[in-house]
Amino acid sequence: MNSHSDNNDKRPITHDGPASKSQESTAHSGVPLSNCFFDYKHVGGRFFGLVSISIISLLGCIALGMNNPKQFAFSWLFAFTFFLTICIGSLFWILVHHGIDVEWSVGVRRQMENVATLFPVLSLFFIPLIFVAPLLWKWMVIPHGSSHALLEKAAYLNLPFFWMRAAFYFLFFSLASLWLRKLSVAQDNDGDPKYTVMAREITFASLPFFGVCLTFAAVDWLMGLDFKWVSTMWGVYIFAGSALSSLCVILLIITALRSVGYLEGIVSERHYALIGQLMTAFTVFWAYIGFDQYMLIWYANIPEETTYFLRRNTESWCILNIILVLGHFLVPFILLLFRNPKKRPAYLCGIACWILLMHLLDIYIVVLPMIHPAGFHPSFLDLLSLIAIGTALAAVFLKRLGDVPLWPLRDPRLKDSIHIVV
Amino acid sequence: MEKITKVTMNTSAPTITTAGPATAPLFGLGIEFESARDLYHAAEKVRDAGYKKWDTYSPFPIHGMDEAMGLQKSWLSALVFIGGLTGFTLALALEFGTSSFLYPLVVAGKPTNLFTIPAFFPIMFELTILFAALTATFGMLALNGLPRWNHPNFNWDRFNKVTEDKFFIAIESSDQKFSFEATSAFLNSLGGNHLTAIHEDSGNE
Repeated sequence: MNSHSDNNDKRPITHDGPASKSQESTAHSGVPLSNCFFDYKHVGGRFFGLVSISIISLLGCIALGMNNPKQFAFSWLFAFTFFLTICIGSLFWILVHHGIDVEWSVGVRRQMENVATLFPVLSLFFIPLIFVAPLLWKWMVIPHGSSHALLEKAAYLNLPFFWMRAAFYFLFFSLASLWLRKLSVAQDNDGDPKYTVMAREITFASLPFFGVCLTFAAVDWLMGLDFKWVSTMWGVYIFAGSALSSLCVILLIITALRSVGYLEGIVSERHYALIGQLMTAFTVFWAYIGFDQYMLIWYANIPEETTYFLRRNTESWCILNIILVLGHFLVPFILLLFRNPKKRPAYLCGIACWILLMHLLDIYIVVLPMIHPAGFHPSFLDLLSLIAIGTALAAVFLKRLGDVPLWPLRDPRLKDSIHIVV
Repeated sequence: MEKITKVTMNTSAPTITTAGPATAPLFGLGIEFESARDLYHAAEKVRDAGYKKWDTYSPFPIHGMDEAMGLQKSWLSALVFIGGLTGFTLALALEFGTSSFLYPLVVAGKPTNLFTIPAFFPIMFELTILFAALTATFGMLALNGLPRWNHPNFNWDRFNKVTEDKFFIAIESSDQKFSFEATSAFLNSLGGNHLTAIHEDSGNE
């Protein structure tokens, strides 16, 4: 069902495969339909490789975590947050796509949807955190009344509300992403524009929830590591990293699919140039928000606020923080500043890998200094947690990749996306 | 203003209208098209014929026209980069250089060394943006040869339609490949109407 005799995308559409049941063909002529299903032959045995690596690292995490549950808790939160930000970012790009009728991203939207709908799987990886929650979020175990700050925040920081919120975040993220993907897939069959309109309505209903869930998830799980500390820019800061890193992941997925012969005639150098422009913008945005947060705290010099940066700008964390500023902003900014290289997929992919590495460092500096105030202290658990969650998500992603076409076959704006002008 | 002068060279000679004072130097040859599509394809032919000093005129931007005209990447981005860099360096020197090194200002006992640079970031950022934006605006005007009082094309009455529904190509006489006979025959072969010899303003001499 996923092969096609006609690979020449200059030819008008010929219906084939499950998508061919529709009789409506003239409206979409000129849009290639061939080769639209992912063939599992490209994955092959690697799928089981990923699953076994995931299980082995999961077992390793449990074994090492038994001896050092505190380190496990923080390592797991670090790895979990890294993948959470990527999924959140993908959902953000889908919402942007539907919300403002973006043309260029039609061809790559399905991959955003595939990444964003990993939320249900991701929520499973939140379960270990439930068991180690008191080790992570100290306010949970502080006796009632012994901390004035906590008493003042008790209306928000209390156990029932905390877990209800967590459940709501996952419910919202999963429902929104699954629903939007469902509409998108439904449109593949008949190309009815009503799905586009429905997706837009869902998007506008979702946007406030998205902002609230993203902000409070960041507040609950990351800012809550030190319940006395506050930063009003925290949610935006995490969002900036999410949007940028998910863009990089999408770029890498698109490139991987292109390298095995998919998306031909759908995604071109022009789309790379556009993704490159957004990467430039969000590199600057991340730096802007990150610096704003730093400067406001540094400038006001209030002890409750400065604790965050005092811990991260002393000992060996300071070196990592300087590397973060240079590596997450300066290096990609200079590399992305020039226009013509951004049209080269290989160049952009290199930068995308680098940015993802820096995003990893970003999350690492957010989470890990809380248990290692004396300085950078790498643990094998950091790596194992990353591998365990990463390979599991990659396996689920690959398993679902072939279920639906690789791009929205009959989106009304697909042709505009293909012929987008940069 | 417009006078029809039949230039009879051979049997297939095109009809050329004259616009502007005929005594003034020739600015170039212009031709009119009915649609953006015609203009686009004509531009491709002019590009392939090797002309360098020519331009297309249309009521709205046409996507891909830069490629059809064979235009190289604009120098504007380089100018903007230099402008931004100038603003950045200026802020660095004026703020950080003076108050941290030339005349160290000790505020609330805070140190004055390389690591105090974040205090000066906002101004560096703003000056970078300001200089880059101003360079973009004025650089664009300068690269377009603006502002100017008039353009020889406006001596051609039909050219006023360029802001309405007509499309034009003008090849300038200063082009190295330009020759009145060959270029007019070439323009005529592009399928447009109203081939016109456009003259400069007499005051320009």
